[in-house]
Amino acid sequence: MMPYIDYKTLIPRTVIWVMIALFLILPAFTTNMITLSIFISSGIWAIAVMGFVLILRTGQFSMGQSAFMAIGGYVSAMLTVKLGIPYWPGFLAAGVVSGLIALVIGVIVLNAGGIYFSIITIAFGEIVRIVALNWEAVTRGAAGILTSPPAPITIGNFEINFATSVVPYYYFMFLLVTMAGLVFWQIDRTRIGGTFRGVAANPMLSEHLGVHLMKYRVIAFAVAGVFTGLAGAYYVTFLSVITPLMFDLWKSMQIVMMSIVGGISSIVGGALIGATVLYTLGVYLSRLPIYNIQYLLFGAVVVLVLLFLPKGTGLVDLWGKFWHKVFREPEEYEIPEESEMAVE
Amino acid sequence: MPPAGIWVDGLVQSCIYVTMAFGMVLVFSILGILNWTHGQFYMLGAFVVYYAITAAGIPFPISLLISGVIVGGLGMLVEKFVIERLSVPGYGMLYVTVATLALIFFFEGAAGMSFGLMDKGMATVLPGVLDLGSFSISYQKIAVIIFTLVIMAAMYIVLNRTKVGLAIRAAAQEPVAASLYGISVGRVSLIVMGIGCALAAMAGGIIGPVYSVNPFMGRIPMIMSLLAIIIGGLGSLTGAIVGGIILGLLNSVIAYKISYFSEVALFVLVILILLIRPQGLFGAPAK
Repeated sequence: MMPYIDYKTLIPRTVIWVMIALFLILPAFTTNMITLSIFISSGIWAIAVMGFVLILRTGQFSMGQSAFMAIGGYVSAMLTVKLGIPYWPGFLAAGVVSGLIALVIGVIVLNAGGIYFSIITIAFGEIVRIVALNWEAVTRGAAGILTSPPAPITIGNFEINFATSVVPYYYFMFLLVTMAGLVFWQIDRTRIGGTFRGVAANPMLSEHLGVHLMKYRVIAFAVAGVFTGLAGAYYVTFLSVITPLMFDLWKSMQIVMMSIVGGISSIVGGALIGATVLYTLGVYLSRLPIYNIQYLLFGAVVVLVLLFLPKGTGLVDLWGKFWHKVFREPEEYEIPEESEMAVE
Repeated sequence: MPPAGIWVDGLVQSCIYVTMAFGMVLVFSILGILNWTHGQFYMLGAFVVYYAITAAGIPFPISLLISGVIVGGLGMLVEKFVIERLSVPGYGMLYVTVATLALIFFFEGAAGMSFGLMDKGMATVLPGVLDLGSFSISYQKIAVIIFTLVIMAAMYIVLNRTKVGLAIRAAAQEPVAASLYGISVGRVSLIVMGIGCALAAMAGGIIGPVYSVNPFMGRIPMIMSLLAIIIGGLGSLTGAIVGGIILGLLNSVIAYKISYFSEVALFVLVILILLIRPQGLFGAPAK
């Protein structure tokens, strides 16, 4: 169905480790709240994008991913605000509830694959939004729920205080993205990821080879649901408010665009690049003085990326190709010359 | 039993959904994609009609035609420069889907930037109501219903009585065989995209005076016509018409009973239809 480029041979491990180290010490250079906020939000969206790409690996096109963010956010907000449960158990519960809902929905609807699945997920996302908007007794409707930051964590003399600075949010986002990235990467590179691709490429053949299609589709959908729910719960805490408008259909579409612009050949790298680029673009565009020009430019940039970048790969492959051209090419051309010399 | 006015409102909504769903199915049957930007062409059509009437003083029926031509041309440009270039064999329809999703943001941003975000009303286009004793219908709503009937009749004639229609039907059934018989499938795609977008634009133009015109008016009709297509069966023109009528009436009648949650009821209904009969009411069974 789609070509996947194995880009990890193109980019050496060192570069990836240097990038990770740079991001790890970023708050040492700047504690500017806006810069860090952009990175925090990008990381959170990147987790949702990874979930979308995992579902895409099984050949299904989910257009309701932000609904799981909404579910995670509402579960976490309601547990902490209404029931007074501490933040972290509520955060984990958000992931569990979101994953369970994804599991149930997946078991019911994943039989209708392809475009029907897309439309069912749109319908599901709209149902979640409308219920959140109108069930005012629980969700407080359009006014939304205000949440407070997690309680300070004290380790010895060192106190991690979420209320005074965004740096703890940044590091926790880093932890969350790393965990999600490791899980998605492991799923993608091991046998189960291969089965996902097989299910996508030829469902009938996979079924004849004894692969239970539904099982793998549901696994992908539920795993994506868990991490998307966690991302939603964390996003709500970071913004300290949740309203139904934060996670509507248009946010699901943004997730789709982020995944394609970043590139779907690499589940973690593409998601991170796509989410960071598009989120940062959105933030900077919204500072332009002309009203609504940000939507126009956002759409234009996505279409141009699709038109002019290599298909099926997005920005990830651009990076890989650049690396290949600049640093790898001389070595590869030396070897044939030597062998020709030897023949002569 | 809801009062008759509710049914009339439902019928007016049905007409819009039918017109939009018809265009979407037409595009789907030839190009094999769902055009997610359809709602934005509807919105642009309403704006063209609004400015043709208020700024240029062109009569309402002619400005409808103008909006069809302009937005149809825009749809052709989109087909030529975006959809055709992204329909690379072997990649599925992923890129076209994402490109049309991005175009939603593009067109909404363009409309918001150039026309402003405020609701624009043009209630004085066809003033007056038809009094029918217990209830009354405004002339504008009657115009919507008549317009839809005329458009559907015209589409029936185009598809069944002309050479272009023959080419469209042939390309929808067997693209390869059609191209072997000298039909340019690329040109048919262009024509179909133009027709579909023109239908959406005229639907937006005719409904503009009933509701109001703003850059985000295309979102709900797009989702609704999508659901209409699913109810009727993907790829079936009859299905699009029947699905649109069912959906508009249901939306209006259920909203009368349970207000806010009517959309939830509709979405649940569509999910149930998909689970019980995935090919829809009129669709061909899945292979």
